[in-house]
Amino acid sequence: MIVLGRRIQMEQRMAVPKSAVVIVPVVSVIAALVVGGVFLALTGHPPVRTYLDLLDNGYTSFYGITDTLGLATPLICTGLAAAFAFRMNLYSIGQEGQMYLGMIGGAWAGIVLADSLPPLIAVPSVLLFGALAGAAWIAVPAFLRARLGTSEIVSTLLLNYVALNLVNYFIFGSQGFFRDPTTSFPQGRAVADSARLSPLSFFTEKSTNTYPTFFVAVLLAVMLFWFMRVSNYGYETAVYADSPNTARYAGMSSAWLQSSVLLVSGALAGVGGAMYVVGPAGKVDPGLLQVGLGYAGIVVAALARYNFLAVVLAAVLFAGLRTGGNALQVSNDPVPIAIAVVLQGAVLLFALGGELFRRNKVTLVRVQKATT
Amino acid sequence: MNSNIWLLTFADAISIATTLILASLGAIITERSGVINLGVEGMLLMGAVTGFVVADSTGNLWLALLIAVLVGVVLSSIHAALTVGLRANQIVSGLAMVIFGTGLSQFIGKPIEGDPLPVVIRPLELGWLSDLPFVGPVVFGHDLFTYLTWAAAGGASFYMHRTRPGLLLRATGDAPATVDAQGGSVARIRWVHTMVGGALMTFAGAWYMFARAAAWNQAATTNGIGWIALALVVFASWRPLRAIGGAVLFGFSLQVPFTLQALQIRTLPPTIVAMFPYLITLAVLVLLSTPRARRLLGAPKMLGQPFVRDER
Repeated sequence: MIVLGRRIQMEQRMAVPKSAVVIVPVVSVIAALVVGGVFLALTGHPPVRTYLDLLDNGYTSFYGITDTLGLATPLICTGLAAAFAFRMNLYSIGQEGQMYLGMIGGAWAGIVLADSLPPLIAVPSVLLFGALAGAAWIAVPAFLRARLGTSEIVSTLLLNYVALNLVNYFIFGSQGFFRDPTTSFPQGRAVADSARLSPLSFFTEKSTNTYPTFFVAVLLAVMLFWFMRVSNYGYETAVYADSPNTARYAGMSSAWLQSSVLLVSGALAGVGGAMYVVGPAGKVDPGLLQVGLGYAGIVVAALARYNFLAVVLAAVLFAGLRTGGNALQVSNDPVPIAIAVVLQGAVLLFALGGELFRRNKVTLVRVQKATT
Repeated sequence: MNSNIWLLTFADAISIATTLILASLGAIITERSGVINLGVEGMLLMGAVTGFVVADSTGNLWLALLIAVLVGVVLSSIHAALTVGLRANQIVSGLAMVIFGTGLSQFIGKPIEGDPLPVVIRPLELGWLSDLPFVGPVVFGHDLFTYLTWAAAGGASFYMHRTRPGLLLRATGDAPATVDAQGGSVARIRWVHTMVGGALMTFAGAWYMFARAAAWNQAATTNGIGWIALALVVFASWRPLRAIGGAVLFGFSLQVPFTLQALQIRTLPPTIVAMFPYLITLAVLVLLSTPRARRLLGAPKMLGQPFVRDER
């Protein structure tokens, strides 16, 4: 037997083994950390110590983990929004803008409606108006997609830039409704106290940055997971995602499925923005524009493979990178916060590459000379 | 005075169009092979920042441009490896390139943020041509690379429609199975054109840095130009020459807010005017998706579809 060489052979898997579901994301994260470590080393930061600091500041210390859960709250929402659309092959990347609109819509309800309402009604109505505003922001791309087939990718993205300028207009460009009238410093008008929640203390005396909305976000994830499993609607979207033609022959309306999925996705991102109002901000706050939670939501969704429950885990993981990165930026050995974004991108790239190993059985085979 | 400002607006629109043409040319070449690379925005940023860093340490513009091009080849080959090699989802991989490129450019650019440009690309002196009224500053007031870009669009058009490799390229986007059956390598054609396209995208970023930007600023350097370039691909219906006209139109809409500000026209607040380029792009996309327009467009038929031989 003469071995001529080795060849990589791929064989499609009929069933995905349970282990691959866990191993692929874990290996992606580790590989991304290695890549990030190379960049850190090249720029003169000791990788291992930096990562240990990141771990401490992002996850294991009391303030680290509570900051992380607070940041994860809107990120879970944008992650759910992306997952909801992407799993039906609708690639909306407008979560960023829909989240801004959710903040605006939520703040409007918090200013106008909440004054006369008890907190038990005021807070949900802020979240509701945030959802409505987010859905309204995706309504045009959704209509275009369902009616004319316009690519939702570019149309939702372009509206992000419009939303960004809209927030700037409300706060910096005008003396309008959303601007705080009591000061010349450009900032948002505060919502009524009844529309705000106090942060959780986790049975300590300390004040944290985690708000009860975190549990609302987790509850949303659980409800979506359950609803899309048991409902007819969940089944129809799954069929449509697999084969639009099958869905059409079965009498499902593609216009309805496409537009409703996009609208729900926009509403989910909008709720994220409203949670920012109910929680830390209490007003239209341009600070949200600096964080990029909408774009990060796409990464979270992809890493979670569009599984709603996994979105929660991925969002906490990513929020931790971010809060840990923030702490590093102001430490004695300042590391640019951008390292957190580099890690996010790298995790996603590796997770994508890992998909192949999830779907296919990859084996190294010997190429032999045929013996006649 | 006022006519002078409008003159500058036209000149600037054509200048800004250079980035748009280069970036969308890169996207057209990539997409014609059936691969969609949404990472344009990230590629522009990476081209801009690596160009700046190299120029900052060597003072050599040509070396800076060369390195920027190489960075584009490397980044787009990651995209090709994932989508052509590993058959990953092209949309998600492109978005990952945007996020990765944005973060990495911010990371690399941190030390040089706000520094003055080490070198700049200056307009050519074209003698009496530049002195012509209107046409002089608008058409003959640009740098070497602007003219090379126009030539490149012409060259790409000739390559795609008049040469054999160009025919194979278009066939790979429309009917990869045919190319495969005929003995061509779908994977190789997709790899090569994704890399060439990526090189054009980072070059576009580097050119923008040296010719139009004042300093490196991650948030403001490209400001969504990469996404407008992607919309331009649809506008140009995947034809290189048509990208020139579209780029000038989009360039004009990007430039008008500054002109209105310079003219002290304050009927609309600047933050509202700043929305216009994106709204205009969106409106154009809508017009292009009417059934009548779609028939005339002709997107590559297998765009975004991985090619697997045994799955026909």
